[in-house]
Amino acid sequence: MKNEELDQIIEKSFKAEPVFRLSADFAQKVSFSIIRREQWKTDLHEYLYLTGVLLSLLIVVSGFYYFVDKAFVLQAFLFVSKHIIPVTLIVFLLNFIFFADRVLLRLLFSRWNRN
Amino acid sequence: MNDAELINQILNGNMNAFTFLVNRYQKLVVHIVGRLIQRHDELEDICQDVFLKVYQNLGKYRNECKLSTWIATIAYNTSINYLRKFKKGDVVDLDDSVALRNLTDYKTDDFEKADLHRYIREQIENLPVQYRTVLTLFHLEEFSYQEIEQITGMPEGTVKSYLFRAKALLKEKLKFVVNETSMLNSPWLR
Repeated sequence: MKNEELDQIIEKSFKAEPVFRLSADFAQKVSFSIIRREQWKTDLHEYLYLTGVLLSLLIVVSGFYYFVDKAFVLQAFLFVSKHIIPVTLIVFLLNFIFFADRVLLRLLFSRWNRN
Repeated sequence: MNDAELINQILNGNMNAFTFLVNRYQKLVVHIVGRLIQRHDELEDICQDVFLKVYQNLGKYRNECKLSTWIATIAYNTSINYLRKFKKGDVVDLDDSVALRNLTDYKTDDFEKADLHRYIREQIENLPVQYRTVLTLFHLEEFSYQEIEQITGMPEGTVKSYLFRAKALLKEKLKFVVNETSMLNSPWLR
């Protein structure tokens, strides 16, 4: 009999809820975090897509122009190879501004809005 | 709204439906993750990680098991991976003597004052991780043996054995309460 009572108490304790708690707005936080991740992915894809399109356009235009004015294209190519460091820096800077505009700023704004 | 409708809504991009799903299953996830990892400071982050995985893999969910079983499986695997990373020594000792030593003694002198339920709940937290897992899934979340097998990958016999041994360990610690004190009029039974 006593043993059965102890069994009852143990069973009851097994079914008792533990003290672990999540914040009241946990579901909203999770949803917001997912929205932000999805937005970040979309922005990044959009940026990569646009960069690819711009790069392809540049290559196609240069290719066509090569047949129109071969000397100019070769001169431009020579200029780029002579000033490779400043040209790379400018391209990198422009690319970073584009990346910041399409991806980084949007991410930061969404974080600030949340806070 | 039933689970199938809820999943359809989420897959169609309705984030309110996902918030609803989180609200519906957050208790299940917090019980499993909390019991397994036992760290309040990391609890919310890991639960968030569980729901992120649920969202990312929802398209792969097939109605082979209940949604609660599927979510519990993700919660269990996430918690086990966390334990493997940060608490390598937390495994079951087969002869139970180590587990028994981990349980604190219940002082019979304090029997009248102490809260026996609270004592048992505290001791559950001191049990090895597999015991805590099956106790939580079976008693608290009321999953069947087959569902626990699906969630944890433990054979049904092992689940039953862990349940029995967990109870036996606690009873071992409480056996002199039973022997020495009459519990017929104890306040915990009222």
